[in-house]
Amino acid sequence: MKSLHSLTLVATLPVLAGLAFLLAGCGPRAGDDRTVVYNCAASTSDIAALSREQAGFLARTGIRVKLNPFSGEEKLYAMIAAGQAPDVFYTNGAVRDRLAAEGRLLDLRPFAEHDPFFTRLRPEIRAAAPSVNGGIYSVSNWTHTCGVYYNRAAFAAAGLASPSPDWTWEDFAAAARKLTLANKDGARPARYGVFIPAHFIEALEQMNHAPIPRGALLLSIPPESREVYAAYLALICEGVMPDIRRVQALGMQAGQMLESGRVAMLVEAVPHPGLIETLTIDWGVAPMPRFGQKAPRYFRSASGGLSISAATKHPADAWRTLAWLVGEAAPYQPNPVLGDVDFARAWEAKYPRLRGTGFREVWARSEAHAGGDPRYFVRFASWSMSPVMSRLQPWLDRLWAGDATLDEVVAAVPGINAGVREDLERQLRSTALRPAWKAALERELAAARNQP
Amino acid sequence: MKPREFLSPITPATPAGPLVRIGLTYAALVALGALFSLPVVWMLSSSLHELAAVFAQPYRWLPVPLHWENYARAVTILPVPRFLLNTVLITAPVMAATVLSSALVAYGFARFRFPGRDALFALCLATMMLPGQVTMIPLYLVFAKLGWVDTYLPLIVPSLFGSPFYIFLLRQFFLTIPPDSEEAARIDGASRLRIWWSVVLPQARPAVATVLIFTFIGTWNDFFGPLLYLNSPEKATLTLGLNLMKTQVLGSGVVEWNVLMAASLLVLAPNVILFFIAQRHFIRGITMGAGK
Amino acid sequence: MKAEHRQGWLFVSPWVIGFALLTAGPMLYSLYLSFTSASLLSPPQWLGLENYRRLAADPLFYRSLGNTAAYAAMGVPAGLLLSLGLALLLNAPVRGLGFFRTLFFLPSVTNTVALSLLWLWLLNPEFGLLNAGLRACGLAGPLWLQSEAWAKPALVLMSLWTAGGQAVIFLAALQGVPRELTEAAAIDGAGPVRRFFAITLPMISPALLFNLIMGLVGALQVFTQAFVMTGGVQPGSEGGPNQATLFIVLYIYKKAFQEFDMGYASALAWALFVLITGCSALAFRLARERVHYESEAA
Repeated sequence: MKSLHSLTLVATLPVLAGLAFLLAGCGPRAGDDRTVVYNCAASTSDIAALSREQAGFLARTGIRVKLNPFSGEEKLYAMIAAGQAPDVFYTNGAVRDRLAAEGRLLDLRPFAEHDPFFTRLRPEIRAAAPSVNGGIYSVSNWTHTCGVYYNRAAFAAAGLASPSPDWTWEDFAAAARKLTLANKDGARPARYGVFIPAHFIEALEQMNHAPIPRGALLLSIPPESREVYAAYLALICEGVMPDIRRVQALGMQAGQMLESGRVAMLVEAVPHPGLIETLTIDWGVAPMPRFGQKAPRYFRSASGGLSISAATKHPADAWRTLAWLVGEAAPYQPNPVLGDVDFARAWEAKYPRLRGTGFREVWARSEAHAGGDPRYFVRFASWSMSPVMSRLQPWLDRLWAGDATLDEVVAAVPGINAGVREDLERQLRSTALRPAWKAALERELAAARNQP
Repeated sequence: MKPREFLSPITPATPAGPLVRIGLTYAALVALGALFSLPVVWMLSSSLHELAAVFAQPYRWLPVPLHWENYARAVTILPVPRFLLNTVLITAPVMAATVLSSALVAYGFARFRFPGRDALFALCLATMMLPGQVTMIPLYLVFAKLGWVDTYLPLIVPSLFGSPFYIFLLRQFFLTIPPDSEEAARIDGASRLRIWWSVVLPQARPAVATVLIFTFIGTWNDFFGPLLYLNSPEKATLTLGLNLMKTQVLGSGVVEWNVLMAASLLVLAPNVILFFIAQRHFIRGITMGAGK
Repeated sequence: MKAEHRQGWLFVSPWVIGFALLTAGPMLYSLYLSFTSASLLSPPQWLGLENYRRLAADPLFYRSLGNTAAYAAMGVPAGLLLSLGLALLLNAPVRGLGFFRTLFFLPSVTNTVALSLLWLWLLNPEFGLLNAGLRACGLAGPLWLQSEAWAKPALVLMSLWTAGGQAVIFLAALQGVPRELTEAAAIDGAGPVRRFFAITLPMISPALLFNLIMGLVGALQVFTQAFVMTGGVQPGSEGGPNQATLFIVLYIYKKAFQEFDMGYASALAWALFVLITGCSALAFRLARERVHYESEAA
């Protein structure tokens, strides 16, 4: 009995000590006028690098940047709802539109018009910046294309030459077949030829010239997309691609499969700093394969960016911080969104490992073919992304699982769109929607109604 | 009480019975134990492998040589001493406050008859059943109004008011305690608070130990609360830090599983040690019945 | 009598104060929101019963409800049986139990994020330990989290692994069973099975009720595992293959934080609240005659 009491007593002391400590730490906040809070999902090493650099930034500009590395949708909304929004934070395309439509984001046009920083951005990034009402609510802080990373040793062992930059889907699939290694028991390949994470299907759709209008509110699955889905499905059915329909959000990163020799080719983002830093095998990267004689349309994504809270007390300082983060801060340089640096060369200087991998070719092609058309993850950047995807995804799941045919998926599109329309019309009824957004939404819905 | 008393068999020996029974018990314990510990053993094993070996097939369970540097790397990414201090500063007061307040309230619900008691208890239980996702933001607004965001107060103060989960647990336990000794103390003129403290709590030791352990684990592993209320990286708890590290490690192309597992085990270790020590209290609890 | 009332209220006052200060407000506020079109970022607009009407006609609500019910129906009984079995084993009169107790409890102390990561790895259909084990036995493992049929069983399996937490509660209760009772019964010639059902089970029935209610509450509010493990990198793909793991709280989260539909999310939450409270009340009612309390007479 004694021991319980002493246990409780021992536990009570820290309570008092803790409370005293907390109350002591609870005094009025230092009223530093020019503090800009940056909410970022940065890694600890990035935080350390940024912290080191911000001293110089403070000396130059008098702006103190406070890093808040804990991000999450709930946290951001809670902070905004409480009137304590961070000054600068990341938004993806869909979230940006919703927040902007409710007046929560600062329109960056006044700054963009006068700051030479904005003109440093690649033309297509600038062109894609305005939202439906013409306002600019975020600045892209990264952009990437994608390519086929491949294991050179596996290619050599299979007697294959390195992929030609102009290879076609047939070449690609043939290589995948040759690279697939049967297991001794014959049950399951010891090595798969290729893995294409399902979210890169849109890159293939682009290569096959599927017309996916940017910002489209309603879903369409044109014949070009159907061909791509069929080709993707065929790789799984043939056993040259592992039946992991989704790269799991966390557990198994696609890069791991390439690294561990489980797959010989992998479609992934280019540039991909993480992959470059961690791959230890001898690898190369090739452009995406073309479909038939169609001119290539290399996919390019810059669907998210940095936004500034409408409630910020220091709009100019927040903009200056944003420009610093995108255009100057070392952890993010060289940054592919900037048009005034030779990105490929600068990137190779940062990662000498890249020389001779084909990276330069992949990047050059994406630049040559992306003029004025940023090739977003279109379906994931529009206002109606969530209503569309929550209805389409189950159909895709059934398609990959063999529980639905392509025809059935295509036949489901009108039903999906009816539901999306219902959701959008509900949003239209909200009084919080700013007039410009309301008008734009009505206009697009009316236009969509005229489509079959 | 003799420390080994609890080991004496419950059943009187029947010829040939005990050996077979003990053998079967051990067989079941070992089989289930292997099954339960396999994932953790894999964590341990992979935390000591070099990265390539983590993905090798077939998997080699014994890392040769042992790559202790994974732990060194985990500690450089995750500032353990700092975060450990933060975590303790939250966990210790929460444990003490939760167990005391919950036990008070539970005793009130278990042993007093007053109008509205059952309705109040039902309400108390009902509050557990509203998913936190919708009350989270209103609650955040309250703490933000108080200026408590980015302090430990929103994580600690609620524990002063008892937790429905533990109130329920302790009430259930108090109800199984025969009230005789309390009545005897009342006849001796002891106050109800005094009885609660010196008669009831000691008898409820297994339950109190359970609540302490659960509170410890719950607070130690809480990710959502610190994520929501803490902003400054230097105020992070171990679990929040682990999550931050996860973002970093997973953001790279090839996940450093070995380092991630090393860090997870470092965060896990205090829980295991605490449980190993505290379970003595469960074991002592067996004498409770004999003690009356 | 009066003093007893006052003292009773005094004892429960910490919770009453906490409820009034920290719980009642947010709860009522969310009830209010459920009748509005709130996004939390903009002023709520009164809609009356509109959200509840929408809910009644929402196929995803029923799908998520069905998923949650299926998960609970598999997970709760399995969890109770396993944890009771573990507790009985751990209460056996043999040496070295401290080690085994720790072993079984180990999974329950692992934090959910690390746990989810670990299980993603174990359940990976191509490269995971589980299917490697099955292959070694000559079985073709399922796709687990990637398969509509196996995603829920996979999450149940993972939840069973943390049965040690419930087992500890059973263990604490088992150790409160007076030995004289079982010994007396044994002397009277009752076999172990009969002793268990006639003496042990009634004596630990309060713990059983507790674990049942907590198991139900936990299963009906299952969220983190599904959120961490079955969300894809693609937006809109949370909820697993063909929405097999779109549990109700995950659906609430999606509505509230991904679609800015806090009003509707609150209506969903209150529907769930009524449902869980109903289930628990039913469990209590059913338990009333069956649960044995030592101090019932007091």
